[in-house]
Amino acid sequence: MTTLLYTHPRCLEHDAGFGHPECPARLTAILNALKTASFVTLEWREAPEASLEQLTRIHSLKHVERIFARVPRHGHYAIDGDTIISPQSGEAALRAAGAVCAAVDAVLKGEANNAFCAIRPPGHHAEPHQAMGFCLFNNAAIGAAHARVVHGLERVAVIDFDVHHGNGTQAAFETQQGYLYISTHQAYIYPGTGRREERGIGNIVNVPLSASAGSTELRQAWIQDVEPALHAFQPQLILISAGFDAHYLDPLAGLNFCEEDYEWLTGNILAVAKQYCQGRVVSMLEGGYNLQALAASVAAHVKVLIDAPLAA
Amino acid sequence: MYEFLQYLVCDAMTPEPIAMSPKAKLREAEALFEVHDFNGVPVVDDQRHLLGILTKFDLLKAFIFDFHTLVPHYDEIMEQTIETVMTSHPVSVEPQLPLSRLLQKLVEMRAKSLPVVKEGRLVGMIAREDVLKALRRAAIQHETPAREEQ
Ligand SMILES: [Zn+2]
Repeated sequence: MTTLLYTHPRCLEHDAGFGHPECPARLTAILNALKTASFVTLEWREAPEASLEQLTRIHSLKHVERIFARVPRHGHYAIDGDTIISPQSGEAALRAAGAVCAAVDAVLKGEANNAFCAIRPPGHHAEPHQAMGFCLFNNAAIGAAHARVVHGLERVAVIDFDVHHGNGTQAAFETQQGYLYISTHQAYIYPGTGRREERGIGNIVNVPLSASAGSTELRQAWIQDVEPALHAFQPQLILISAGFDAHYLDPLAGLNFCEEDYEWLTGNILAVAKQYCQGRVVSMLEGGYNLQALAASVAAHVKVLIDAPLAA
Repeated sequence: MYEFLQYLVCDAMTPEPIAMSPKAKLREAEALFEVHDFNGVPVVDDQRHLLGILTKFDLLKAFIFDFHTLVPHYDEIMEQTIETVMTSHPVSVEPQLPLSRLLQKLVEMRAKSLPVVKEGRLVGMIAREDVLKALRRAAIQHETPAREEQ
């Protein structure tokens, strides 16, 4: 079966201002990599806009209205020092969240094994009532809620390997049954949350890694913390908050993952998915700010998604 | 600060820095430290493979009291070769490392400078001063958009 790629031209038009690391060139680099020969079997689909209903399963109506009220006609509007929006940002954010919901629909209907959403703005820092950290709407949480509410799933897991902790996803789920949130991230950097003691109702698993941790520590974290949590939970669908800023060349943090680590991680996630949910995985882009490292890492990740049915 | 995130070590380092042979005497290193404002000098072989780094701290270490002599003799110690007191297997960085990461590393290690190595060969030195200069340069070239709310 196929791997789907959801994206939309509007996601290239969200512009956070000159020199901002979360730039359109990130997505261009990724899409160019995914247009090469090794990815011919990818089925490209245009991301629809998320509906208000989809957004408000996670966000307050007030939050959604505030975002749209602040989208400028020209130039930029700074929600905070680093979270900056431009005229196309509102629609881009709708397409980003919409991509994940559509991917969830497609995968749960059996149209594909898995999907990757090449989207911006990213989502995992966006809290139910607050945009922050380059994020407007929490794409992963919205997708997970969509799977629970529309498709009646009882257990949805979100695995977040971005170098930063997904405070927004944690905030959305920490009191909610039916969701498991697992995050590996660098300790003591933005946003400051994600300590091991933060366990929600037993459904949050935080694995902070010390600055400069790499392949070894990642594998340890997977074996000791991530995999056991997944086995205990037995997810019916796995979403991946796929940030690639833990790469050793990324300028925003200090972890030292490499392309092979993302490959390894993706393979392991798929193995768990195979065991509990017929391989159903929806992955989405979060961070990753070195263009070459990002493109290569996404390529490694998506290649494993494509090869999954054969490998497992 | 966004601009700074795009800098790499090779954008800010001193390329092809002065280096010394492991067989050179501490006296020569001392003379070099007197003339230049170096924190340390890289030690290389004929093909400029990095063997070690000799810092002022290493030089001082050569003078601590030990069991060899009651009082360390300046001239004798200065006749020792660099390889006897240098730091072997020093931490080095790649030229393609983001400067933001180098900064973290300097702070973590409390290092004053680090050798830059490509395929085993010394290609530069990067010091605290270089990073400070790059930070200033980034600040001048790019102003972040003003906050409109808080
Ligand atoms: Zn991140």
